[in-house]
Amino acid sequence: MNVLYATLGFLGIYAYVSFASLLWGGIDRKLVARMQRRMGPPLLQPFYDFLKLVGKESIIPRDANRFFELAPVLALATSIALLAYTPLGFEPIFGTKGDVILFIYLLTLIGFLRVVGAVSSGSPYAQIGAQREMIILVSREGPMMLALFTILWRLSDLGVTKPFSMGTFYEHNVWELGTPMSIIGAVVLLLVFLAWLASEIEVGYFDIPEAETELAEGTMAEYSGRHLALFELANAIKAFVSASLVVAIFFPWGISGYIGLTGLPAVVIDLLFHTLKVFAVLFVSMSLFRAVTGRLRINQAVSLFWTRMLPAAIVGALLLAIDTLGVVA
Amino acid sequence: MNGKLEYWVKIPIGPIHPALEEPEKFIITLDGERIINVDVKLGYNLRGLEWIAMRRNYIQILYLAERICGICSFSHNHTYSRAVEEMAGIEVPERAEYIRVIIGELERIHSHLLNLGVVGHTIGYDTTLHLSWLARERVMDILEAIGGNRVNYSINTIGGVRRDLEEKHIRAILDMIENYRNEVMPKIEEIFLYDPTVEARLRDAGVIPKRIAIEYSAQGPTARGSGVKKDVRYNERLSVYPDLGVKPITPKEFTGVVKGDVFDRMVVRVGELWQSMELIERAIDQMPEGKIKAVPKDNTLLFQLKKAEGEGIGRYEAPRGELIHYVMAQKGKDVPAKWKMREPTFPNLFAIARALVGEQVADVPVAIASIDPCLSCTDRVAVVDANTGRKKVLTERDLLRLSIEKTRELNPNVRAKPEVVGVGCPRGGVL
Repeated sequence: MNVLYATLGFLGIYAYVSFASLLWGGIDRKLVARMQRRMGPPLLQPFYDFLKLVGKESIIPRDANRFFELAPVLALATSIALLAYTPLGFEPIFGTKGDVILFIYLLTLIGFLRVVGAVSSGSPYAQIGAQREMIILVSREGPMMLALFTILWRLSDLGVTKPFSMGTFYEHNVWELGTPMSIIGAVVLLLVFLAWLASEIEVGYFDIPEAETELAEGTMAEYSGRHLALFELANAIKAFVSASLVVAIFFPWGISGYIGLTGLPAVVIDLLFHTLKVFAVLFVSMSLFRAVTGRLRINQAVSLFWTRMLPAAIVGALLLAIDTLGVVA
Repeated sequence: MNGKLEYWVKIPIGPIHPALEEPEKFIITLDGERIINVDVKLGYNLRGLEWIAMRRNYIQILYLAERICGICSFSHNHTYSRAVEEMAGIEVPERAEYIRVIIGELERIHSHLLNLGVVGHTIGYDTTLHLSWLARERVMDILEAIGGNRVNYSINTIGGVRRDLEEKHIRAILDMIENYRNEVMPKIEEIFLYDPTVEARLRDAGVIPKRIAIEYSAQGPTARGSGVKKDVRYNERLSVYPDLGVKPITPKEFTGVVKGDVFDRMVVRVGELWQSMELIERAIDQMPEGKIKAVPKDNTLLFQLKKAEGEGIGRYEAPRGELIHYVMAQKGKDVPAKWKMREPTFPNLFAIARALVGEQVADVPVAIASIDPCLSCTDRVAVVDANTGRKKVLTERDLLRLSIEKTRELNPNVRAKPEVVGVGCPRGGVL
């Protein structure tokens, strides 16, 4: 019985997140268009795009190998699996000890599958896009993991039931630590996370692997039809999930407790409120960032991560850790 | 394979590529992200204009010249007129020269705003594209009010201009300049001179050193961005430009350094926007009353040109650089024996291809966009490379036959006979 409920809930979450993430695509395009003094496409444009792509023939290059067709399917499957461990305003369905590590692996796997698909296509544009994707993948994960694990370590120090899990964030949050040092550290880490998020969804400075005007969509250059539709959906879900991580760490508060709801209505209200927060985070990290910046060169982006973000993450981590370590008595 | 493996990747940028507005091919050999060779392939966009021109009279060529390129439509038209005027010895009234200056500078403003937006777009900074193209709408509206069209305003004719500037036009132009000074230019300067993203991407990208610029005879903002003081309006003391105090703009006056990179070319364009506005204001101030055409009627003009003999060269500083038109007359015919033009894109293209070697692949689109290539101006020779590597020249007749075949394939209901007639120009004995 329990398994049945879990499965149904999981399917419900999948349907909801697909809808919400595609809807965000429309909202984002509309908002950016307004910032650029344009009208922008209709709000439901991503849905139209998705449906149109699903109905279209998929062209497979002559030189492509099996992974070309397999990669989009695996990417979508990975992003669905990811939903089981994503905090969405309530504890993840299959949450357990140490699921943070699984979460990060699955998130990276989507990027890795894009690379596999691009390399399999045999197109030189896609190969250069894949090179760039790998380089930036390696650079962005370091600062993020350092920040994430510091926060989790610090929180599990307060005594949580499942250490190093996504559920940790619903028992305590970084702002609860209370000391001025930890608050400054948390703000620094928030900036690191926003930059990581922008890089994860490839906007603004970090639109490097897909650089439309340089590489003609880079990693996605050879994809069309159904395969492209699967990748688009996987990417949209990935954006939502990555933003959910930031929301869970820094803005984990629900509202169901305040209006005294319990059971299913509480879950629905929390989910909707969480979606709102995700949209707010994505607005800062995606829409605003996309409207006010251009694309960097790959070496500039990499040096941004290694010489700015990594030191920032280290400083933030030290500030968080400083009162536990007892450096300042 | 010559017995050894090559690790280089060859990327074709073009003929169809999102960074290029027109078909042109750059074959780029890469070692990782570093470019080790750039190969430029021209000739995807031949339209046989010079051939068509030899079957049209001097006045009909004006409209053909205008359609060489949509952005510098006035420049081509103007340069061609200067060539014919020099050939036939026609004196242009002073008021017409002033009107030409005003239209030419308005066109420079719209061309530079367009290019600034395109460069912003190629580095993924689409907001700049939308803002500068929004600003550009205003100039185009003014050009429409004066000439009747947004793009091909056809205001120029041999020996003058076809329309006079009225009081309302002058007021609209001054209003526009006021608006640009106060609202548009501060934004443009903030974006292209002080924005960190733009500076990070454009600085040290596509560097053309001064020596290379001179050797490859780079033109226009490309040359001036490298510190070469080269401007036809200034060097040749063209028409009334000396009275207006025109000077070649180099980035030195704005940023204090000349590196010859994409950023410097953008700085030159921003400077020229300021300069153009000043020139228009001065031209409006100094513009005398009087005739606007040397020869009022077109058939009188044609008759006069029919008697003309010899050759003429017209030069003009188009927004992209120096434009040269050459016209050779045949005595007793109202059709030129030869019409030939040289566009700034042609030398600039090879200068930029040379400059790209050693840089990153990310710089290719922005460097190409920074010379503001007008490839439809540049293409001359039609060599169609078949799959086998054989070369074949397609004549007009072949193209027409192919297009008719294609139409029938797409729509079998078309019943007309595929006959090679009615292309819009009188047919000589060539075909």
